[in-house]
Parts: sequence; C-alpha cells; structure tokens
Amino acid sequence: MALPISYPLRNLAARPGRTLLTGGVVALVVVACTLFLGLISSLKRTLVASGDPMNLVVLRKGSTNDGASQIDLDAYRSIRYLEGIAPDATGRPLISPELVVQPFFRTLDGGRENVLVRGVEPIALDVHRGVRIVQGRMIRPSSGEAVVGRAVRGRYEGALLGDTLLFGNGRWKVVGVLEADGASFESEVWVDVRELARDARRPYPYSGIRLRAASEADLVRLADRIAADPRYALEAQREIDYYEAQSESANVLYYFVVGIAILAGLGAGFGASNTLYAAVRSRTREIGTLRALGFSRGAILLAFETEAVVLALGGFALGALLSLLATAALQAWLGGVAFGSTTFTTNVVTLRVSSGDLLAVLGLASAIGLLGGLGPAWRAARMRPIEALRRA
Amino acid sequence: MTYLALVRANLRRNRLRTALTGVAVALATLLVCLLLAMPAGLDAFVSRVASNTRVSVINRAGLVYSMPYSLVRKIRGLPGVADAMAVVWYGGAYEERGKLTFPSFAVEADHFGGVYPDYHIPPAELAAFRQYRDGAIVGRATMRVYHWRIGQRVTLRSAIWPVDLDFRIVGEIPNADLGAFYISREYLDQALQAKGLPGLGIAGLIWVRVAQPEAVKSVMRMVDDLSRNSDAPTSSQTEKSFFSSFLATLKDFMTIIMAVTALVSLCIVFIAANTASLAVRERSAEIALMKALGFGRRPIFSLLLVETVLLCALSGGAGVALAVGITTALRVFAGRIPELGPLGAFYVTGPVIALGLGLALLVGVVSGLAPAWGAARRPVAETMREVF
Repeated sequence: MALPISYPLRNLAARPGRTLLTGGVVALVVVACTLFLGLISSLKRTLVASGDPMNLVVLRKGSTNDGASQIDLDAYRSIRYLEGIAPDATGRPLISPELVVQPFFRTLDGGRENVLVRGVEPIALDVHRGVRIVQGRMIRPSSGEAVVGRAVRGRYEGALLGDTLLFGNGRWKVVGVLEADGASFESEVWVDVRELARDARRPYPYSGIRLRAASEADLVRLADRIAADPRYALEAQREIDYYEAQSESANVLYYFVVGIAILAGLGAGFGASNTLYAAVRSRTREIGTLRALGFSRGAILLAFETEAVVLALGGFALGALLSLLATAALQAWLGGVAFGSTTFTTNVVTLRVSSGDLLAVLGLASAIGLLGGLGPAWRAARMRPIEALRRA
Repeated sequence: MTYLALVRANLRRNRLRTALTGVAVALATLLVCLLLAMPAGLDAFVSRVASNTRVSVINRAGLVYSMPYSLVRKIRGLPGVADAMAVVWYGGAYEERGKLTFPSFAVEADHFGGVYPDYHIPPAELAAFRQYRDGAIVGRATMRVYHWRIGQRVTLRSAIWPVDLDFRIVGEIPNADLGAFYISREYLDQALQAKGLPGLGIAGLIWVRVAQPEAVKSVMRMVDDLSRNSDAPTSSQTEKSFFSSFLATLKDFMTIIMAVTALVSLCIVFIAANTASLAVRERSAEIALMKALGFGRRPIFSLLLVETVLLCALSGGAGVALAVGITTALRVFAGRIPELGPLGAFYVTGPVIALGLGLALLVGVVSGLAPAWGAARRPVAETMREVF
C-alpha cells in the first residue's frame, strides 16, 4: 500500500524555511542554466535561420566567410549563365552578387562597432526569400541609399528611417527597414553593391555570390560545376551549411555551458540530499511507526523520492518563472545580446528562452530531485521498525 | 582540550553531511572560477602579447578600409618613432585543411624586427626573413599544431588575392600564445604583378613602435595629423586597446557570465547556510549542556562559526585547485587540437584564485553567522526544557 500523496507534501510544509532554502538552490541553478542555454540557442537560431535550403553561397576557395573573400566580374559572369539557377517571374536568373564590408559604426553610447554592410542589387530580395522590407522601401541603385536591419535600427547613430548614416567614406540615407524572422540579416545594413565597392575602394567588385537553385539536383550540379572550374578557384556550399559552420564557434560554448549546467546540477543535488538526510534523521520515529503499521519499504522509498522530486520541481517552476523574467529584463536592458561573429562584425541576438531549453533544464531539475533524494529515501526505507522506534 | 579538536570532532560527527556540503561548496567554487576564467584569460592574453610602446594605425572608417602605402614612410620619418611596418591581410588557408585556421599577414620584412623586438626572434632568423623573398615567420602556436619545422615549405592559398604562394618557414616566434603567419609583402606584390594585376599600393594596418612610452600619445596625435585632410583619415590606438576592441563584442556575453556567477555564488550561500543550521539544530541539547557546564556565549559562538568557515575554506580550496587543473588540461588539449580553440583561452589567474577562496571564506562566515549567533544567544533553560 502506498502512502497518500499528502504525506510528502505535508512534510515539505512542516519545515517551510528549509524547504524554501533547498527549493531556492534548485531555482537558482535553474535560472543560471536557463539563461546560459537560452543565450547559446538564441545565437544558434539566429545563424541557422539565415540559411535557405535552396540557396548556394559561392566564395573563393579556402574562405570561411564572405567578409574574407574576393570575386571578380569575370567569375560572376561565368556563373550567372550556368544552367540550373531558378528564374524569377521575368525570367532573370536568381543570382545575387554581393560585397561584404565591415566599417565602423558609432553606437548611441559613444562606442564604435564593426557592422556587416552588404552591397547588393535589387534582386537580392528575391534570392534571400526570408528577408522582407517592413518599413519604407528597398534601395534604388546608385542613389546613396541604405536599408537597415531591425536590430541595427536604433543601435547606432543615424540608423533610423529617414536619418543619414555615416560610415565608410560616405553618407547614406536610410530608406527602409528589413526583417528576416530573427536571422542574422537583421544585424546588417544593405546598400548598392557598386556604390559600396567604390566607397571602400575595393579592387574586386564582389566578395561572394548567393544564388537560388531551381531544384535539389540542380543545386548539387551547380556546386560541382562551380568548384570544378579551374579558372576562378571558387567553391559553392549550401547556404544552410555555410551558416551552420558560422555557428560552430557557438558549439564549443555550448559544451562549456552544458558542463557548467551539470556541475551546478550536481552541487544542487548534494544540497538537496543534505536536507533530506536531515529530514529522514529527524523523522526516525515516524518512519518506524509507519513501518510498524504495515507500510512497505517501497512505500517509504516512494514517499521520500516524491518529496525530493516535488521539491525539485517546485524549484524548477520558481526558477523557470524567474529566468523568463530575467531574460525579458536583459533583452530590454541590452536591446538584444551583441556577439562578435566570424566576420568580426556585431551580431545582435534576440535573447529568447525556447521550450527546448526549458525542457532540458526540467530534465536537469528532475535529475537533481531523483538522484538527490535517492540516498536519503534508501536510508529511510532500510530502517528496521523495532530499531527505529527504540532509537527514538 | 583545544577548541580546534572539538571543531574537528564536530565535522566528523556526521561525515556524510560534511562530505555533501563540502562537495557542493567545492563544485560551486569550481564553477565560479571557471566562469571568471574566461574574461580573466582574455585580459591576461591581451596584457601578455600587447606592448605599451606599439601603436596600431588603421583607416578611421574601419579595419577593411585601406590606407595608401606611402603613409608608412611618412610615419617612419616622424620624431619619436622607432620603426613602422605596413601590414596587409593575406587570408591564407593551409591546403591540407582547406580553411583559414590561423591569421596570415604580408609585412615589410625589413621592419619586422624593429616593430616586434619583444617577440625575441633570433637575429639570424630575421636576417633570413629579409634575405629570402618567400621566407615566412610563424608563431609557435601554429608551428606546434601542424608540427612544422624551420626550413619546411608550405603552400597557403589566399582567400583574398588570386594567388597560391609557396613559402619557406625561416623563423619561429618563440611565444606559444602567438599563431600568426607572416610573409613578405614584396613577394605578394610581385606575384600579383606577375599575373598582370596592379600591385599592392595599400596598407591595411600599420604597426608603429614608439621609442619611449611617454611619447606614445604625442606620436599617435602626429600620425593622425598626417592624414587628417586626406581621403583616408586614420585612427591610432595602442596595441592593448586595439586588441581589446576585438573583445568588446563579447561584452554582453560577459555581462551574462557575471550574472550567472552571482547566482551560483548565492547558491553556495544557501547550501552552506542550510547545513550550518542543520548542524546547530541537531546539537541543541549538546550546546545547552555545554552552557550548563559553564562554556560562555563567546566560545560557543566561535566554535560553531569556525566549523562552518573551516569546512567552506577547505572545500573552496579544493574547488580552486580543481579549476586550475581543468583549465590547464584544457589548454594542453587545445594546443594539440585546433578545433577546441576557444576552450584553451581559460586561465585561472591569481586574482581569480583569490576571488574563489575569498568567496568560499565569505560564504563560511555569512552562512555560519546566523545559526551560531542564535545558538549562542538561546537561554539554556529554554533548550533544556525542550530537550528533556
């Protein structure tokens, strides 16, 4: 026969101070782990969301990102007329030659940061399907105009719609704001590719090419043909793979964070064990009585395990609530978390705790409860009724 | 009988609890040290490799905006300047790996030793770098990763310039923190011209070594004045602030690390306070008895407090030692496996050790104070009545 569920619950309520203290430890560990996991997963989400499965990124061989690559006009022309590139409504191939430059921008608080400025042609909006102009309009060629990403707007001097941005050697009028469902394009500024090359005095007009394949088979064929051309030493990779590689530096941080979470969880588990051992000890007589009344060892074990898990889950609930508040506060305070990316530019990440993060931390909290409660529960279950009653 | 013996006996009374608390505090101290090791490691790195007499000069518009090559000659002519060297990003990928795994720069071989005297490169190696057009000087970190030897030939494909060049390694920078690959500017220039392209008319970055540390400010001003009204105005910074500006993008991440560190510290306080209160509660009969026997409030208070502080200090020490061990191991592995890169940047520095130990001590005091005070103050009669 099992003990009623109210037994462990009442036990928790019997010493509210100690229960709160132990639950508080679990809650703090939950907040710390959720913050960290949320941060890393937000960073990864931002990068991974930038890739489109049908797009290819063409860079010079050996280059790891479009900030460190150069492509000349001939190479672009040789690719432009390859078969297999998806056409737009008017029949033009969906291929976007781009130049990435990383000029300094002045932040509103007086600092300076490198921002990724992407020189594009109007067709870029059709190649990057996820990018939309949400305010104002797209730039016109050779007009000194710029559109700014959602995360850029308001972070730097002059980065509001209608303002004038000063970067590079020129002045750029902000005519639009772009959004891309949280992808890293939102941390970029887009201008006309020829104007940017002139402003940055680049010897080569482009740094990379993005193109949209008509089909999966075309995508593979195009990538092979581009890599096989001996004249230009280019290589093509899937856009999703490109951004996946960009997020690799986050992988190392991810393992670091998981290591921290496990260590913190162990610490909290020991803390919870401690409290429960004390509870078992002070309730020796009670446990002896229960056993004498006929409750089985399993029932006692279950009761103490329940107590531990309920305690841990209570801590989790409190911690999850606190961490949601904390991320909202951090997001409001920092306006997104700025990360350095491989292009040395600032990537503003929207800090959001996903349900996956919370599930992982829920697992951790349950493990704290289960494993932390195991020792004390086992000790309680093993007590011999006569001895327990006599000792008390 | 000494009080210390009593403290020891008390700690041994419930060994399981002492062990659980000790491990929990040690883990938390380990965590705090590991978390702080990242910012501390970055700071330590900057101060190890940056010189206070070296100044970086870049185009004010940004690192990727170039300056005319002629500027470096003008800078060398300024009073107070010991030497200056133009740098161009080569962006070389080692063919076996295919991707950029270390930075590579084309530099003026004649001025390399003058700008980096603190790298302590043997004069013979510097002479070979000047003499052989295809010579290269490589940081020890990269030499180790690829098991390169001086005299070896390597090919680096440039991701930026349309050339793949062969180099002969003629020198090594004897500093395991550094991994850059330096090639001769002349070699790259001629290779570009041989392809019918315009040569390198530009400098991406200029390193200036100032003769006297006091003159750094005035030299920076003079350098920026040279190009004030040109179409490529410059921005000078000390080497330290130049490197720090790369780390500035980690600022927000560091803020979050600090917040988490604070949370974890609070955790330890909770755990230790819980244990201390358990220990006192269990022993109330004994404490009452001691009082009845004539022990004053003060010895009882100190006895209980010392017990907590001792436990926390010992566990904190273990945590710090573990942190030093783990980061050392990480550095050793990261030196062999380049993919682990960032994990090798963790350094538990002196200040971090002091902070970890200080935190553990503080936790001991804070968590022991309330229960010890309570126990010492409680009237004997009250406790006795409750117990018997």
